Amino acid sequence: MFAGRRGTLARWLTILMMGAVLCLSLTRLDAVAGSGDREERLYFPSGKFLCESSLGFQEVAADFLWFRFVQYYGAFAKGHNDLRYFELLIDAITRLDPRFDEAYHFASLVLWSDFGDFPASIDILKRGILHNPDAARLPFTIGFTYYVFDHDYPRASYWFDVASRCADATDRERRFAAFSRFRMGDDRVSLELWLALQESTESPQMKELAEKMIQKLKNRISQNKTFGNDFVGPVPEL
Amino acid sequence: MTSHVGALAINTFRETVRDRIFYLVAVFGFVMLVSTAVLSPLTVGAQGKIMSDVGLAAMVVFGLLVVVFVGSNMVHKEIDKGSIVTILAKPIGRREYLLGKFMGLSLTLLAMLFIMGLLFLVMLFLAPGTFSLRFLGAIYLCFWELILINAVVVFFSTCVSSILAAVFTLGVFAMGHLSQSIRDLGQFQGGPLQQKVSEVVYYLIPNLEVFNVRGDVVHGETVAGELILWATVYGAAWTILLLLLAGAIFDRKELR
Repeated sequence: MFAGRRGTLARWLTILMMGAVLCLSLTRLDAVAGSGDREERLYFPSGKFLCESSLGFQEVAADFLWFRFVQYYGAFAKGHNDLRYFELLIDAITRLDPRFDEAYHFASLVLWSDFGDFPASIDILKRGILHNPDAARLPFTIGFTYYVFDHDYPRASYWFDVASRCADATDRERRFAAFSRFRMGDDRVSLELWLALQESTESPQMKELAEKMIQKLKNRISQNKTFGNDFVGPVPEL
Repeated sequence: MTSHVGALAINTFRETVRDRIFYLVAVFGFVMLVSTAVLSPLTVGAQGKIMSDVGLAAMVVFGLLVVVFVGSNMVHKEIDKGSIVTILAKPIGRREYLLGKFMGLSLTLLAMLFIMGLLFLVMLFLAPGTFSLRFLGAIYLCFWELILINAVVVFFSTCVSSILAAVFTLGVFAMGHLSQSIRDLGQFQGGPLQQKVSEVVYYLIPNLEVFNVRGDVVHGETVAGELILWATVYGAAWTILLLLLAGAIFDRKELR
């Protein structure tokens, strides 16, 4: 009876020992390989090949690559690797799932914030719009890029306009469309847009903002009518 | 005849339940939970999309596993054990037997998809802004895809060994998702003969992409009623054809 118990004990001890050896060897292997090197060896076949080989599971394959991309970018942010595979990854993700608008959006942010490449950032968003014509946030981001970085208000207002006509457009897109018109001095169109926003919005704060802007624009239009476009306001008293 | 088929179908269903096939449903629930809770920090604004993608794909994968591993063995197991002789000694035709087996596995798939679909919809309901009834269209077409694959495995299990039946069925699944690409390749790159061959291949292999609307529904598109109708007709036609062929082969098979 004791021999049987001893045998069982020995078996369990061996199993535990093997488990410990496995953990130890894996830890040592990880230390030898180094996590930085692992990212350097990162390889992905082309998006075209992945599309064909994912056998009807393109979206899941895109999600998997998205996880890899987020980790890859996270490692870059921590200084563990560069972004040499950035384009390859984004190309693969957007080919596998061309309607993955978050991928275009995030890629555009990386392109202007880390690469400082505004034209490429806008190009990738335009590519996204081709596949997602109803997603408001893609044209909105283009408009926002022109508005904030280039101060190109006519272009910004064009893209905010496009965004505000998308199926999932919210008050934000309409507000920016109206603001950019205001900034470029197109008071009448801006007034129309604010009036439309005031009518459509359900948010009390937005209604209040719209009312303020409408009043401001009405004053400016009537001033311009009376004093001309060059009027810069009353001369401050000395 | 109907009662024989029904009895065989229920018996096959019970057999799969006894084989603990429904443990896979628990695995599905676990996968859904992982995709929601654990992976959400990595999704960066795409949680709903990833949850839906993973859930719908998992339904197809688990269904495929059941069809391939249970279906390829279903007939052979009874031939090996000799129990098929006992069954066929009763007034049950060979075609009825095959149909019963097919129906039994289809019932298992239906029950599995029902539970998985319910779990999936509950999980989506819990995630804000993701739930939609349009997912039912994708689940329905997923069911038809698995039914067709079920007919494929029944067909192969009548003419080759169980391992080969599993391998061939997986091959048909892969080819079925590539048939459109094969036709496109022939059309764009080949000469007139290659174009004809690719066209013939396209019609000879079930095009499983017609049942794949997962991407569309995940991105908020509603599946057109016409597409559902024609996909159902297409799936039913292939299933009937394959079962008829399987019946014809099984009729001539020597059972020892």
